[in-house]
Amino acid sequence: MAVEYDPELIGKVFEVTDPVDVSAQDIATFCAAMGETNPLYTDEAAAKKGPYGTIVAPPSYAVTFRNGRHFFTQVPRFGRAGFDAGKDVEFHAPIRPGDKITLSSHVKEIYEKTGRSGSMVFVVVRSTVQNQKGEVVAHIDHRFMNRP
Amino acid sequence: MSTMKFDAIKIGDTLGPQEIPLSKEQVRTYARTCGMDVPRFTDDEGARAEGLPGMIAPGNLSLGMLSRLVTDWIGESGARLARLGTTYRQPVQPGHTITLSGFVTHIEPAEKRVEIDVWIESEDAERLVIGTASVEFP
Repeated sequence: MAVEYDPELIGKVFEVTDPVDVSAQDIATFCAAMGETNPLYTDEAAAKKGPYGTIVAPPSYAVTFRNGRHFFTQVPRFGRAGFDAGKDVEFHAPIRPGDKITLSSHVKEIYEKTGRSGSMVFVVVRSTVQNQKGEVVAHIDHRFMNRP
Repeated sequence: MSTMKFDAIKIGDTLGPQEIPLSKEQVRTYARTCGMDVPRFTDDEGARAEGLPGMIAPGNLSLGMLSRLVTDWIGESGARLARLGTTYRQPVQPGHTITLSGFVTHIEPAEKRVEIDVWIESEDAERLVIGTASVEFP
């Protein structure tokens, strides 16, 4: 049975977040939590000589803005609460100290799949992550899996 | 850190393996730092109440570790991680050693781009997280 949903949901931006400030300290705290030691992310002097001329956040910092306590509140759900099945991230501009980051999100697609453990409905939310200059930092496709 | 050149990369070149004894404290620290301090990522009891075997690592932490595997490989070569896709197949449980690995699957000389398969394996050699990455060279 094909999953039923309102086709109007697809492609419509359902959320634009308020800008989140990223400080040098935020990046350092994230690096410490990740056990990151790469000098491009942790050592100002080494980073100056690197491709960006300053410390930048590790690429995976881009996925930390919408999850856990800051989860999407308007994602369509099917059946029991879904979980994170995976992400596809395209990285563009790096995140620098002093950036103000916003996310604009829409439902990209909804599809059903039958696996070993039965039927699953996947909801793919695409977020465009931008900085204060309007540069795209990343496109993130969040794949949420629901059990109907 | 490595300063490898694009022309020297061959299909089959390996990333890692990196063996990581993943502690519950590390997972809690990541979860708290990233606003993900919900029970499944911070304590065993809370996770069990949600039907999980015990506390698990956030998918984002797995993605972060695989991203680091690739950026460690890139080193100071000036290349950049352009894309990373992950699929969470099984929960990653702290209190165990996980192994991160990868290898080069495709080289696109015209675009100076390298495609890589990456994964996280359990102590039982089960692939808990699988993914693909694209790296672009200057």
